Parts: sequence; structure tokens; C-alpha cells
Amino acid sequence: MNPLVIAETSETPNILMDKAQGKFEVTGRSLIDNASTFYQPVVEWLKEYAKKPNAETDISFKFEYLNIESSKSILDLLTVLDKIKGVTVTWYFNEDDEDMEEIGEELAELVTIPFKFEIYS
Amino acid sequence: MSEEILKALTQLFAIITKQDGGVTVNERQYVIRFFQQELDQASIEAYLERYDKFSGYSEKGPSHQLTIAAPSVKDSIVTLGICKKINRTLTQKQKVIVLIKLLELVGSDNKFTPQRMEIINTVSTVFNISADEYKLIETFVVTTNMAELDFSDILVVNAQPEKAAKKQKHIQTDIDGNLFFLKVPSVDLYFAQYLGEESHYLNGFVMQHNRIYLFSHGSTIKIQSGNALYYSDIVADFNEELQTTKLSFNATIDEYRFPNGTVGLKDIVVAEGPGKLIGIMGASGAGKTTLLNVLAGLERPTKGEILVNGYNIHSRPDKIKGVIGYVAQDDLLIEELTVYENLYFNAKLCFANFSETEINDRVLEVLGNLGLETRKDLKVGSVLDKKISGGQRKRLNIALELIREPAILFLDEPTSGLSSRDSENVIDLLKELSLKGKLVFVIIHQPSSDIFKMFDKMIIMDTGGYPTYYGTPVEAVSYFKRATHQAHSNRGQCETCGNVNPEQIFNIIEAKVVDEYGQPTNKRKVTPMQWHNMFKSKFKIAALANEKEDPPQSLHIPNRIKQTLIFATRDLKAKISNRQYLLINLLEAPFLALILSFIIKYKSAPGGEDYMFRFNENLPAYLLMSIIVALFMGLTVSAEEIIRDRKILKRESFLNLSWNSYLVSKLGILFLLSALQTLMFVLVGNLVLEIQGMTLAFWFILFSTSCLANVLGLNISSAFNSAVTVYVLIPLLLIPQMILSGVLFSFDKLHTVISNKENVPFVADLMASRWAYEALAVYQFVNNDYEEPFYAYEKEASIADFKSAYLADEMIKRNQFAIDHYQSDNDSTRNEVRIALSILRNGLLNESYNEGLEGQNLNTQLTPNGYSKEFGNLLDGYLLNFRKHYQNVYNEQVKTADLKRTFYEKEGFDLNEEKNNYYNESLADLVKNVNTKERLAIENNRPIQLIDPIYQTPSPNHPLDYRTGFFFPKKSFLGMEYSTYTFNSVAIWLMTIALYVMLYFELLRKLLDTSGKVTFVNRK
Repeated sequence: MNPLVIAETSETPNILMDKAQGKFEVTGRSLIDNASTFYQPVVEWLKEYAKKPNAETDISFKFEYLNIESSKSILDLLTVLDKIKGVTVTWYFNEDDEDMEEIGEELAELVTIPFKFEIYS
Repeated sequence: MSEEILKALTQLFAIITKQDGGVTVNERQYVIRFFQQELDQASIEAYLERYDKFSGYSEKGPSHQLTIAAPSVKDSIVTLGICKKINRTLTQKQKVIVLIKLLELVGSDNKFTPQRMEIINTVSTVFNISADEYKLIETFVVTTNMAELDFSDILVVNAQPEKAAKKQKHIQTDIDGNLFFLKVPSVDLYFAQYLGEESHYLNGFVMQHNRIYLFSHGSTIKIQSGNALYYSDIVADFNEELQTTKLSFNATIDEYRFPNGTVGLKDIVVAEGPGKLIGIMGASGAGKTTLLNVLAGLERPTKGEILVNGYNIHSRPDKIKGVIGYVAQDDLLIEELTVYENLYFNAKLCFANFSETEINDRVLEVLGNLGLETRKDLKVGSVLDKKISGGQRKRLNIALELIREPAILFLDEPTSGLSSRDSENVIDLLKELSLKGKLVFVIIHQPSSDIFKMFDKMIIMDTGGYPTYYGTPVEAVSYFKRATHQAHSNRGQCETCGNVNPEQIFNIIEAKVVDEYGQPTNKRKVTPMQWHNMFKSKFKIAALANEKEDPPQSLHIPNRIKQTLIFATRDLKAKISNRQYLLINLLEAPFLALILSFIIKYKSAPGGEDYMFRFNENLPAYLLMSIIVALFMGLTVSAEEIIRDRKILKRESFLNLSWNSYLVSKLGILFLLSALQTLMFVLVGNLVLEIQGMTLAFWFILFSTSCLANVLGLNISSAFNSAVTVYVLIPLLLIPQMILSGVLFSFDKLHTVISNKENVPFVADLMASRWAYEALAVYQFVNNDYEEPFYAYEKEASIADFKSAYLADEMIKRNQFAIDHYQSDNDSTRNEVRIALSILRNGLLNESYNEGLEGQNLNTQLTPNGYSKEFGNLLDGYLLNFRKHYQNVYNEQVKTADLKRTFYEKEGFDLNEEKNNYYNESLADLVKNVNTKERLAIENNRPIQLIDPIYQTPSPNHPLDYRTGFFFPKKSFLGMEYSTYTFNSVAIWLMTIALYVMLYFELLRKLLDTSGKVTFVNRK
């Protein structure tokens, strides 16, 4: 399965989905209006991945900023991941950014995936 | 609403209102009002506290909230979570209502800020409400400017002469401001909002400014100026299909009398257009079903007429064909077929112009509409052996009518016996139909409040067939309350829950006068007549303008041959799927043949060592039993056929299908079954009893007999009402067949009223058994392999033997008597002479041997006047020669036959073996009538040969005289001779055809009907 790589821009995050190396990362800002179009390839990739997943999958989210539209799409990603066995989420937030911590906590309540919270600076 | 959902909603309210400046007092007030509707007083506190916590509301005011500008992503995610939770529990309709509540909440202070709207928009997407529809709903709630409402799902009522936007719908009436309606097409819900200064009443309660009301089934808005807007009218205005359907139904029934003369209906006027759901209610015996039947055209009004688009329903059946659908109270299903097949064959009969795939699609579509698609391959099953539920049966019944989309549909208590949930589903379905432009009449009994309100109009009947109310259902309660001066008469429904209690109506109509002890008496406070007079003064029903076009029809009846094929396949499928029926009918015949032939097969050979066909004395009885079996099987398979189908035929009568096609299809299948049954019977029976070379001949006769029994069975099946009657009748039909078969009781030993020694009695000629038996016996005797070569000689020998041995002696004796007494003076002696001469004349009629009598005119000389002693002596001489002559003939024939025998033996044939295998002594004795004591009898002055009927030739008195003695080998008709086998087969088939004609015209049924009427009159 080919890795999915989307380079970072000022409005979209950097995305890396690599089954072989076991790396699953979403990093940066997500400020897009039509977030669902942007995240669609990621959802597709994950659905494909769900058919033959690794034994363990740790996906990390490290957002500087997240708008409402994007948050809906992140929930969509999590819904797909929720059906895969052995998935964990690592949620990074800046130590000053209480909101981002709370967003992670709210998301964690909506799915059954275990969340780890990591602070970065 | 569950606690969980309420908590979720509370949170949702809070999240929305805390955006952009926080909660206002009005918004909080709105939330409190919402809680008051949904919760008890005690719980409100707790929920309000919860709301305040989430929204950050404080008594001090929203000061510190003002600093927050953007909606937080956190709130958005919480919203998503809540909406997903709601998605799992609420129906789409409820979700639309929640969405509108959210918008209304924001609208309570008109703070439609971008952040709030964004969250509501999020909610709408998660609720799967399409963007277009959200836009529609949002605009409806937010805007106050009618010009912005440019949607086809908006209806505006105001005083303006023109509508403000192109697409919107508009009604002009005397009203301040705007009253406007929203239709949410995906869930078929209607909402109303009023912006103006007047007070209008929605279902009896004032509509508040700027509030959104759900405009549910049966709702009414009374506007201040006095007009009323009814749910059905508003829906009709939204519905474009209705406006294109051209249908007018005008019924004026001045009077309807039952056949016995009592009045069934009085002064009824019904005038309706397309797209209406009309309920008919009334106490039992009030004439609801009668009214429905008269409206549907099943019964003719005694005075009055029913017009559909101006065509009289009775005099123009060609225009009305297929326009009317009728669903009776009983199930009209073919129980052996699956749900799909029931519909499929019905569709085939309605749409000759459809291809197979189109029919399939249509059936699946209807099944889908009625929620039956998952049940489509289940057998319907009988009421006792249920495969599908009562509600599904009912829906399937309706589906059978729906599939051909009649423009006017009549239903007799479609909800009787159904659970309230199923009832609601059925009425929902009818409502939907009416919204598609159909006119639907429904008899309804004890409807629930929701069902009651769904009707557009209600016709309420009172005992004796008097109409007492005609109008909207909710109004009915007010009307009757008003009429009896009850309190709150203008409120038809409950203030808080909106429920209507239809029972109230009947409590009022049938209220009894109370006696001084407080006990209700039998006397009614208001008689049906009084209610009716009140009705006449209050209700003026104007006839609808008759539509000019023909009523809409979609029917294409297939031609008769196709109908026959469809009927036949349907019937065949039903029969095949009934495994028990099939098994019994197919195994019955071989099984009966087996036991019968097994039991009567004994060691019949001389010495008792072996079975030998020749000496089986049971053969004559076996042949009779075969015929009885054929008759019995034929009768039993057909006797119930039409009774079972009668209900279905009643439904199909609205399609004007061909009765002949139906009968032919029935017969086709029954004949096929009979052919199989009799074939198996003959094969098994003949095999066991070692009857050789007769299979085809026996089969054809038994098959013919069975077919006759089939048609006979259908006759009684079409004439009588219950299967029990029919089965009781079977012995009545079978036993005469046995008595008059000619085997159990010899025809010459029956009561003199019916029989003579010469011919088979006429009554016996009406029995198929007699024709069949004679055919079988004669054929077996004459055509078996052993007898065939010698039959001609034996026949000649037999005739010669009779003439020389019996006829000659008799005639010589009579002649001697004539010579001795022809000059006697005694009257009685002279009479005897006359008889003797007559016998002589008849005995010599058609006689070919006339040596010594040349030139004599026997007809004149063998009379008392023409007779002379000389002639007597001449005749005596002739008769002696006659005897000698026939002795010689006899000897010659016997000799020739013997020569032939010797020849065969020389050729290597074992004639004895042949005889053992093919010839049966008992049967031979029977057809030769050897057991008779007298060989010759005198009947009507004619010498009648009683012995050897099998060797005799018919002597017809006139060309139409087909009658002969029993077991004659030939029959004569119109101057031609036919073999008995052929003649008798034809006779059976002619009887079958005659029975078919009787069946086609239902003569037996008509006869029974008239005789039924006669006894009724006599009793009076």
C-alpha cells in the first residue's frame, strides 16, 4: 500500500500516512473552508488501510489551529479509525493552548479510541 | 422525548445561545417554555440549571461573555457529538422539528448572528438535511419579507392581490399581515407562522406572533375575519398533482331501498373532487356499508344517481371501467400464492400493455410503497395458518387495488382487527394516496384521535340511513357539542394535547333520555329524524361542476385468450404450491386403483391355483367402480373451486373480466388433472388385473366421465354458497349414477313408470355412468383380441339361433291362435287375435327371408279384416321353413367360425391361451344377458329379444331414435350406425357441453335464487 503524503501549506496541515513504516501523522494548521474535500483522500486511504491494518496503529495529531469545518472532518477520520483494531491517538497541544487540549478531550469522548495527550512547546 | 435526548437538546440550546454575545432574557424564556411543554414542573428546575451552566448565563447579565468573539472549535465538536447522539434516536421528522426549534430559539430575539447560524448549519448537515432544504427552512424562520420567500414549498396567505415572489404559492383573503406555510418535502411536514396584528386560532388556540407552529394532520386555522383554513385545503394547494387530476364525484341518493323494501339510505348528497380522504362513520346498522356499496356502484340507488365526471356509474360502465376500486372487509387474497404473486397476476390482468419487466417493476414499487417488500416471497396463508401478519394482509388487500391506481377507491373498514399501529400505517397510506390525487372513501370504526384528524371530511350516519354530518372531522365534535349546547363547544380538541375524542360524537348522537331514577331509558334524546332535519338546515352541499373529460383510467384488460392463460397460470401456481392438495389429488387415483384391483384379484382359474383374467368374476363390478371413482374424483376436485374464488371474483368484477375465460381456465386445469388421475387409475388397475389392450379405450371413457363430473362440480360450486353444502350434495349426484348405471339393477327390472323391456329407460340416458359403463363393457367384449375375429360369425349365429329357436315358435303359436279364433264372436278373443296378428306383423317386419310369401302384403293381411284361413295356413308353412332356414344359417356360421378357429390353431395360435388372457366370462355373461329366464318378451305387441343384446342391431322407429337395449353394439342416429363406444363417448361430451352452457349462464344459481324468493314470499 502506497504511503499518502500531502505537503503543508499555510492553511492546510502536513499529512503522512505510511503503513510500511507505521507512521501516521497530521501536523500543522487546518483552516480550510471546504475541509471535507481536503480530507477526503485521507478518509479513502484509511478505509483502504482498514481492510488490512497493522497490528498497532498510533496516529498523531498536532494542530496549531483548527477551524470548525476541519474539526468535522477530523471526527470523520476518527470514525473510520474507530472501526480498526489496535488504534491509539496521540493528541499534541501547546502548553498554552488549553482550547486545543479541550478539543482533544471532547473528541476522545465521541469515539472509543484511547487518546494520549502530549504537550509540546 | 427521552431524558438523554432532552439533556442533549439542553446542551445544544446552550451552545447556540452562548455564541455572539450570549443568552438574552427572551431566549432563556423560550427555553423555559420548551421545558414546560416537555417536562413536569419538578424537573424543569434541574434542566434549567443545566442550561444555565452550559450557556454561562447569570442573573447579573451577560457582561463577561461579551469578550468571546469566535465560536470555539470545542463547541463545534460538542455539537457534533450531540447531533450524532440525536441521530441515533430521533426520526427524520423529529429532527426537522428540532432544527426548527433551534432556529426559532435564535429568532426569539432575532439574533441571527453568523456564529450561531454556523452551528445550526452544522446541526443540519449532521441531521442529513439537504442544503437546499436547510436554506428553505432557514429562510422561512428568519425572514419577515415575503418577497424573499421565493420557494415552491412556501404558501403565503395575505390580503395582497399578487404574490410577492415568483415560485411561492399564494392565497388572497381578508387578513392583516402574513400567514405563511412551509412544506418540508423530505418528511412531508407542514409548518405555519403568522406575522400580523390579528388573532387567529390554530385548532382553537391563538397563534402567537413570530412563533412557528407544526401544522399537523386535520389542523384548522380560523382567521379573525371568519374564514377557516383546513389542513386538506392547504395540502391541496401545495400539491401540484391534485391540480392536474380531473375528477368530479357527485352522488345524489334520494332514497335507497333494500330488496325487501326497507329503507336503507335517505337524502344523501356527496360531492367531492380529487385528493380527498373521506371517512364514513356511524353506529352499527346505520348503513355505512350500504352507503359505500351504493357510492361504489355495487348497488343501484332506488332514487338518485351517481355521476363520475358527469357519467352515470350504472348506465356508462364503459367510461367507469377501472376508475373505481373497492376493498371489501374480508381478505380477497389467494392464500396459496406469495405476496408477490398475488400482486403479479392482478397486475397482469390489469395491464395488457405492460411488458414483463414493467409489471415486475410496478409490483415491486407497490410492495415498496406499502412496506411489504421484505415479505414478498412469503405465502399469504390462510387466516388460521398465518404467514404474514393481519396488518400486512390488509395492506396487501389494498395493494391489489392500488396497483391499478383507480381514481376513486372505496374501503370497507380497512382497519378492523388491526393494532393501532397497523391502523395508523394503513390510514397513512390512504392519506398519501389521496395526496396523489385519488378520491378515497373509508368506513372507519372507533378511530384514534390521530387517525380521525387525518380525514379531510367525515360523513356521519345515524340509524336508518340518515346523514347527520358532512364536514371536517374536528368540526364534527364542535358541531354536535353546539347542537346540544355543551360547554366549550368551539373547541373540538384537547387544549394541551390536541387529542380529539370521536366517541364523543356518538355519545351525543345516541344520548338516551334518563328516567327519574337516573337510569338511562331506551328512548333517544334526539331521534335520527331530528338530527337529519338539523343536518338539512345546516348543511348545504353544492354539487361539483362535472368535469368535461373522461375519468382517468389506467386499465388495459388483456384479450380473452390472454385472460384465460393468466387465470390458468395463476390457478396452476396456487395448486402446485399447495403440496397437500397436489399430493392427495395425484396419489388418490393410483392408490384407489391399487386397493380396488388388489382386493378383487383372487385365484380365479379353475382348480383355484392361479389368477386368470378370463374367470375373474369381479370384472363387471370393477368397471362400475372405475366409473364411480372417475365421477367422484372429478366432482371432488371441482366442487369447491368457484366457492373458493368467489371473493376474488367479486373484486375482479370491477375489471369487467371475461367469465368465459375464467371458466375455460378452470376447466383446462381440471381436465388436465382429471386426465392424469384417470390415466394413473387405468394404468395401475389394468396392470394388476391383467386387463390387456384396453388402456387407451378405458382411459378415454374414464377421462370423459371425470371431465363431465368436473363441469358438474363447477355448476354446484357456482350455485351454492358453502363448501359444506356442496359436499353434502355429492352423494345426491353420485347415487343416482350408481342406481341407473344398468349394472347394479337391470334396466328391465325397474319400476314400470320409467322402464320397458325394449330400451334403456330415458332417465338412465341422463346418467353419464350408464353411457360410460355400456361403452366400457361393449368395447371390452367386442374389441378384445380373442373375440374380434369371431364376433361377426357369432353375431350372425346368435341372430339365426334366436329366430329359429324362439321367434319361429312364438310366431307359429300366435298364427295357430289366429287361425283358430279369427272368426270368434267373443270380443276379448278377437282382441287377442288382433294382438297375435300385430305380433306376427312386427316379428316379420324387415325380415329378409321371404320364400313362400312373395307377393303377399303382410301389412293388410295380418289384420283382423285381411286375415283368412288360407293365408294362415300359408303363413304356417312359411314359418316352418323360416325355422329351418335359420337353423341352417346358424349351423353354417358355427361351422365357419370353427373352421377359422382350426385355421388359427394350425397357424400356431393358442386360442385357449388367448381366451384366458383377453376374454372375460363374467362380462360375456353380462352382455349376453344369459341369466335371463325368458329369452323373448312381448312389449307393445312386439317380440323383443332379451338374450344376447351384444349381438343385436338397432331398429330405430324414426331417424332421431337413438334408443336401443342395453349393451347393443351399435347405435343408430339420423339413419347412420355408430359403434356404441363412439356414440357413448359423444353422448358424454354432449352432456358436458350442456353442463358448461348451464354453468356459463349460471342457470342453477338463478334457479336457486328464484326458488329462494318464492319460499320467502310464501312464508309471508
